[in-house]
Amino acid sequence: MASAILGLGHHLPAEVECAGVRRPIAVEPVGPSALAVPAATQALQQAALTPDAVDFIIFATTTPDVTFPGSGCWFQRQLGFGTTPALDIRAQCAGFVFGLSIADQFLRAGVYERVLVIGAEVHSSGLDYSERGAPIARLFGDGAGVVLVGNDARAGIRSAVIHADGRYYDHFWCEYPSSRQHPVRMTVENFRQGKHFPAIDFESVQRFAEASLPAVIQESLQAADTGVKDVDRFIICHLLPEVTETAAKKIGIPSSRLNIPAARHGHLAAAALPVALSEEVSSGRLGAGATVCLAASGSGFAWGAAVVTL
Amino acid sequence: MRNTRILGIGHHLPSRVVTNADLTAMMDTTEDWIVQRTGIRERRFSDGWTGAADMGAEAAEEALQHAGVSARDLDCIILATLSPDVDSPATACLLQHRMGIGGMPAFDVRNQCSGFLYGLAIADKFIKTATYNRVLLVGGETHSTGLDLTTRGRDVAVIFGDGAGAVVLGPEADTRRGILSTHLHAQGKFAEKLWLESPAARSRPRLTEDMISGDEARIFPKMEGRYVFRHAVVRFPEVIREALDANGLGVADLSLFIPHQANLRISQMVALGLELPEEKVFNNIDRYGNTTAGSIPIAIYEALQAGRIHDGDLVCLAAFGSGFTWASALIRW
Repeated sequence: MASAILGLGHHLPAEVECAGVRRPIAVEPVGPSALAVPAATQALQQAALTPDAVDFIIFATTTPDVTFPGSGCWFQRQLGFGTTPALDIRAQCAGFVFGLSIADQFLRAGVYERVLVIGAEVHSSGLDYSERGAPIARLFGDGAGVVLVGNDARAGIRSAVIHADGRYYDHFWCEYPSSRQHPVRMTVENFRQGKHFPAIDFESVQRFAEASLPAVIQESLQAADTGVKDVDRFIICHLLPEVTETAAKKIGIPSSRLNIPAARHGHLAAAALPVALSEEVSSGRLGAGATVCLAASGSGFAWGAAVVTL
Repeated sequence: MRNTRILGIGHHLPSRVVTNADLTAMMDTTEDWIVQRTGIRERRFSDGWTGAADMGAEAAEEALQHAGVSARDLDCIILATLSPDVDSPATACLLQHRMGIGGMPAFDVRNQCSGFLYGLAIADKFIKTATYNRVLLVGGETHSTGLDLTTRGRDVAVIFGDGAGAVVLGPEADTRRGILSTHLHAQGKFAEKLWLESPAARSRPRLTEDMISGDEARIFPKMEGRYVFRHAVVRFPEVIREALDANGLGVADLSLFIPHQANLRISQMVALGLELPEEKVFNNIDRYGNTTAGSIPIAIYEALQAGRIHDGDLVCLAAFGSGFTWASALIRW
């Protein structure tokens, strides 16, 4: 049995000016689970299904609603599911590709028939918008994207490849709270030092993306037995739009077939790929039968790519 | 489609033992109260700059040795925890770094007490579909740095301990053996019955000084113990029977039940309800407390060491906890 995309949805909060740029930002106190609810409703409507038709929820986020339980549980209760399993994964910017790969395994193993894969982030509540933090804060946006995948005769998910290299864990990270700090994982001193805000080694992130993105895109195309020329759209998630462009050029992706979500919304991390895919479909730019390559590289470092046919 | 089996297992427990008597020096509680309610006599607390990745790396090394698998041959790393080493990235990335390997995917599962079984279900499917051949699954926690070890936090603080367990999983050609099935559930309706609120992306800002210290501190876990207990003793037997039913088996076929070590009284009540004799249930909570994502692999390790699992045995793993989430897995050893 193969896995196919049955429905898509996305939700972006209104754009707000912050640190000199306009970004979708949740000005009300909401978590990623709340942003995912309208996106999931849209995806289910597209498939003409109700929440009880969903067998499994996979929630990828770097910015969970609360410390625990996971955002999947908070999402599940808002959408009125019964006891549908809700998995929370952490694979940062590549979280959606990791989630898609996991969903594909459960579908192919015949365990579940319909799986909601969610990528959602509320970055803004954890960013430093002061002058000190603005260069990083201005890069991020909030949003949620949902893909409903299910068993189908069509092979919708044609490949999904995922990778990580923990050597670079502190090159794009948010250190605190840090459970490994004894005796207390978060102190007022840690807070005053701003250790709970993200820190980024831009040079390292750029170098890694320019190597990993072309390689993983090629790997996913090979695994799907296709090539750059047969793909209708490349949607690439990375913190830095200009780096994404450079990486895409390396393997001859023309700008007419390139979608860089960060250029429009800021970096949406786990939400970027499903948001951009849903935008392409809802605007009519992509339709049934279109082939899309979704790729991401970021914090971890973790990276991955998938080839899907709508 | 092939099955998955456990090729090797390892564990790591910090050397520092914290007895109930040690806790009575920090908070207003008694040895009797803790033992009566939970069955816990002591737990381990890690020291220094040690987190789930460090303990997990020790456990993983032992599991790899036991399996005869080289770390470089791993296709995927899954780490389950609710007490990550850093806020992001995933602690699995830190584990990968600690193990000196890279390239294979590494990600975290954040499903609290059911985290190890959610991870096991994922690993199982990756292997069943022949996507991967060697998966490392680690469950580990550093609870001790996130507990309110004063009288105010005593109801929760006395329960938890630090530790990690690891399994290396690989294919099993005989579909009557290995992991027979996995069963997952969640019910977010009860998310606040056992939770840790802050930092919370849904608060603006996510973290303040008031959330960290003082009377209004929100960086410690909260639990409605009786509520959790009442649901646990229903969901445990339910999900165990679900696993048995799915395989056309009954409680009488079980060789050993290894529950997530949440509370000895829960395990006892579940065993009683299922009419499982004491020798068919494995408990070690008296020595380690609740190590959450670490508890099941640590318990499997000790059950094997104690000679409680034999070739061909039918073993049921089950968990219930925060989320609520609950899960089971049935294994023909």
